[in-house]
Amino acid sequence: MVVWSRIRKDFPVLNELYEGKSLIYFDSACMALKPVQVWEAMEYYYKYLGACGGAGRSTHSLGIETSLLTEEARQKLASFINAKSSNEIVWTRNATEGLNIVAATLPIKKDENVVTTSLEHHSGMLPFFKKCQETGSELRIVNAKPDGTFDLTDFEEKIDDKTKIVSFVHASNLTGTIAPLEYIVKIAHEHGAWVVSDEAQYAPHNKLDVRKLDVDFSVLSVHKACGPTGVGVLYGKYELLEKLGMFLVGGDVIEDVVYKDGKIIPKYLPPPHKFEAGLQNYGGMLGAGAAVDYLQKIGMDNIHKREQTFSRRLLEGVLELEKFEVLGPLDYKQRAALVSFRPKSGSMNHNDVTEYFNEMLPHNKILMRSGNMCVHPFQYQIGMSPAQGDGVTRASLYIYNTMEEIEIFLTALENFAKAID
Amino acid sequence: MSDFKERNVQCILEILKKKNPATTKEIMAMRDLFPDLCAGCSSGGDVILAVKQLVEEGIVQRKWMAEEGFEWKLLSDPAK
Repeated sequence: MVVWSRIRKDFPVLNELYEGKSLIYFDSACMALKPVQVWEAMEYYYKYLGACGGAGRSTHSLGIETSLLTEEARQKLASFINAKSSNEIVWTRNATEGLNIVAATLPIKKDENVVTTSLEHHSGMLPFFKKCQETGSELRIVNAKPDGTFDLTDFEEKIDDKTKIVSFVHASNLTGTIAPLEYIVKIAHEHGAWVVSDEAQYAPHNKLDVRKLDVDFSVLSVHKACGPTGVGVLYGKYELLEKLGMFLVGGDVIEDVVYKDGKIIPKYLPPPHKFEAGLQNYGGMLGAGAAVDYLQKIGMDNIHKREQTFSRRLLEGVLELEKFEVLGPLDYKQRAALVSFRPKSGSMNHNDVTEYFNEMLPHNKILMRSGNMCVHPFQYQIGMSPAQGDGVTRASLYIYNTMEEIEIFLTALENFAKAID
Repeated sequence: MSDFKERNVQCILEILKKKNPATTKEIMAMRDLFPDLCAGCSSGGDVILAVKQLVEEGIVQRKWMAEEGFEWKLLSDPAK
């Protein structure tokens, strides 16, 4: 049985007053807080190692231990998502970089196309937009339904045998919508297309089994999974990682660089090292390993179950007030643990809503994010205009939140609604 | 201060010189008047950070106006 109150104690920032007020952290969809176990793992690197790791670089004692521990962390990440091998795990800075690697190195012909959706985070759409601009291939956009759910009919109309890859977000950071990944993979594979899933919001909260889902590539931001900032992972089936071209080049990605007859002939390492140019974030990798250890010790099923209960109360509580428009499906089972909302009436900017909860409550600071969450296309699609100042406030939950915090928020939101009515 | 942040601070000052006081929504709408100064994402987070800095420096005063959100008032022009 998980003792959730003990979990919360692993996050010291939540147990301190900030400017004399208790913190309620509802911004985990942007950045999860870090438990003590994660920074202790990183501290070990910085305090006792501090050396180079990587493929055959420094072979002294500190270098060897660094390499061993970072490869162990890579294995932990592989186990976390049930990859076949740690060679299918590429360290990145974040999910954005993973998506850029896939898009930039994708072998695509001019007459082929990429399918994505209007609900993508800019990081899931723009790398492929750029790739298609550069190659002359076509970018096809599947419009999400107005409630943010995946439009299967539109998807089946947009995909064809010339589709090279489908890029889609598994759990939306704006609407919380969970996309039907198994179905998307099945249809894509029937057309011979690859699939890359953006797992930034899904994997920290749910069990992700890339082998069972048969997805070709997935990207994660470890910083949303209690891990350190600036660490992410690109998963790819090994044989497909081999087919991708080179991304950043330089040290650590090469087996040899021959210089013969005035010509340079580089011979690159196989995956995953071919994508990891230069010295890496070794401390961050150890922290990432500790983060997934931490989550797995709690149990992803336990996390999911608890978040569903909280998510339901949060969503239904906001809807009950009838003063706020909620983006996304109204059934909590179709959503991740986040709610993006905005006042139905009034002339208030979304930044004011967020700032009110940050600054104006007597005993608490409720920390949320406001804006457009890097999902501008979907907001334009449903008639909002980010350019004209339309936006939302987003409350997002994680393992350290409590039902009491949700009730404090809902009471404060009710008072806020009365005040602006 | 980074050039980016400095420009957003200037952006707020120029807006408030035109309309003082102004609500957050009005400030966001007036960013188009100073495209060279008002930088950052359309969601306006950078602008909020800039105006909060001016509040901390005592140059701008903030008032909660309930249904209209926050109102920002320029107390003194630092250029003068």
